[in-house]
Amino acid sequence: MYYEYLTIGIILFILGVLGIVLNRSNLIIMLMSIELMLLAISVLFLINSVAINNLIGQIFTIMILTIAAAESAIGLAILVAYYRVRGTIAVRSLNLLRG
Amino acid sequence: MYILVLLVPLLSAIISGLFGRRIGTKGAGVLTSSCIVISAIVSYYIFYETILNSSVTYIKLWRWFDSELLTTYFGLQFDSLTSTMLIVITSVSALVHIYSIGYMSGDPHIPRFMSYLSLFTFLMIVLVTSDNYIQLFIGWEGVGLCSYLLINFWLTRIKANKAAIKAMLINRVGDIGLVLAMIKILDEFGALEFSTINSILSVSGENKESVTIICLLLFLGAVGKSAQLGLHTWLPDAMEGPTPVSALIHAATMVTAGVFLIIRSGPLFEGSPLALIIVTILGALTAFFAATTGVVQNDLKKVIAYSTCSQLGYMVMICGLSNYSVSLFHLVNHAFFKALLFLSAGSVIHAVSDEQDMRKMGGLIKSIPLTYTMILIGSLSLMGFPYLAGFYSKDLILELAYDKYYIIFAYWLGVFSALLTAFYSIRLIYLTFIMDSNSRKEDLLKVHESSWSIIIPLLLLAFGSIFVGYLGKEIMLSNVVSPIISNLVKVVPLLLSLLGALLAFIVYNNIIITEYKLNISVKIIWFIRNLYHIIYTFFNSAWQFNYIINHFFINNIWKFGHLITYRVIDRGILEIIGPKGISKVLIKLTRVISNFQSGMVFNYALIMIVFTALFLSGVSML
Repeated sequence: MYYEYLTIGIILFILGVLGIVLNRSNLIIMLMSIELMLLAISVLFLINSVAINNLIGQIFTIMILTIAAAESAIGLAILVAYYRVRGTIAVRSLNLLRG
Repeated sequence: MYILVLLVPLLSAIISGLFGRRIGTKGAGVLTSSCIVISAIVSYYIFYETILNSSVTYIKLWRWFDSELLTTYFGLQFDSLTSTMLIVITSVSALVHIYSIGYMSGDPHIPRFMSYLSLFTFLMIVLVTSDNYIQLFIGWEGVGLCSYLLINFWLTRIKANKAAIKAMLINRVGDIGLVLAMIKILDEFGALEFSTINSILSVSGENKESVTIICLLLFLGAVGKSAQLGLHTWLPDAMEGPTPVSALIHAATMVTAGVFLIIRSGPLFEGSPLALIIVTILGALTAFFAATTGVVQNDLKKVIAYSTCSQLGYMVMICGLSNYSVSLFHLVNHAFFKALLFLSAGSVIHAVSDEQDMRKMGGLIKSIPLTYTMILIGSLSLMGFPYLAGFYSKDLILELAYDKYYIIFAYWLGVFSALLTAFYSIRLIYLTFIMDSNSRKEDLLKVHESSWSIIIPLLLLAFGSIFVGYLGKEIMLSNVVSPIISNLVKVVPLLLSLLGALLAFIVYNNIIITEYKLNISVKIIWFIRNLYHIIYTFFNSAWQFNYIINHFFINNIWKFGHLITYRVIDRGILEIIGPKGISKVLIKLTRVISNFQSGMVFNYALIMIVFTALFLSGVSML
């Protein structure tokens, strides 16, 4: 029964990844995808902690939530600062540094 | 005393070369001449001690190469061969030094010239006195170097530069033979001293084939140095140098080094009949070839140069018939009369305002009778006129060649060359001295006998070319058994020489008259003249040897060097697999790799995720 939950978690994670990779226009979508990935991971941790009867997974999840909050805060702050400088938030235009 | 003969010329070369500006032109001339005279006196003393008192002397100076396989000393060896050569070298050199004072007067670089001459003498003495092949090789290369420097003495002339480089390079071909022979000797005998090799040869029968290879390689060295057929082309070109140089280096001493090498390696050659036969044939061919070419040369010095080549052919030929002492005897005689001829030719050239073409001379007998006498003595000696030096050795060579019936071919070539020798000698005298003059009036009026420093060496050399044969024959030929052949055969060379001389007179007296008198048929005359023209061109260009060598060897090697080694290998393969190719590939690769860093965040994310996935799966596989 846990197997289906695990599959859902993984699918969510992959959706997040695809959101980052395929998204070319909007930085906000990227941040949202990152949130989605973190949430997918959190779900996986929770399911596993229930499945193997271990608390560490849930502790980890709380930590991840904290970090995700901090991360999205900083990410949005960078985004706002970036928008002020460039006037756009397209990922495509974020290519000043290249090899 | 024995080392003095080496040291004095070296000292004079160093002083004259390094401090030439201090001692001045006259000082350099006097100093070097007196040094070489001292050396000559010492060598006469050595001759007295080693030959007349028959006490061969060996001097070991110091250790040179000292490894486990090879120990070589700096050693001097004074036996009969060495002391005979010493007499020739130092006497001729001393006379040439004195001659040069007069001949080169007015030249701004006399100290340099004298220094080169002395250095040459020193290195030639090193060559003949060494007791092993390596030390001989010092002298061998050294005289080649001095030959280069001296041919190139007037270094502003392009022809002199070319001739010098040609001499150096062709000699180098022979030197490679000598080096390879030394390596083979070391491999076979384990030593490079002459005495050791000779003792090993006499004790144990060595491997026949390797001895043959050694002999052929040694002979290749001799061919280069002694201007034998094939590698002879440098000798006539070397006449670009000053005349004393031609006399000293290209007639009397350096070119005899090849013959000396064969005589020195005589015991080795005795072990290989094949090598002996090749030596004989090549020597005889050289004698014949050079004689035919000498007949039609128009340059005064080139005639004598080809005659040198021809006489060297005689020496090599008789070496091939195992009569080494006869070869040495002819070497000595030849050194004297050829030096006399060259120096007299220099005197003639000096008299007619540096004109070398015989066609522009003539009638000089009235203005420079002494030089004429000298050339006549030299030429008669060269022709083998009875009781002169050349007679004793040349006739003996031909008799001994006749005795060896299995290679009678050499005899006929030799005899015919004797005829031609007489022909071109008389032709030279006729065109230069007897015929009506062809030179310009202002030149002809200025003709005069040269100064005392030119005359005295000529007189001494004339004495030498008259008496050396008679004096030397008892000393040098005491071990030669004269062959038993009929008197008619013995006279043949002399008769042919006289015939040649007579022919020259007839031809050059009547050549103009006959063309008008023989009014037989225009067509026949036209045909004869055409044929004559072809033959004349063929001989005048020395059997087209230069053309053949340039066309088939040099040209192809140049092309090979440019196309293959330069373009294909250096600029092609080596550059592609070397610096240029590698850098090109690396740059392309890095471009491709750096393109991954596109600056796009989503690409980075993709790459990071892909590689993380790969890493994790790799870890889980482990």
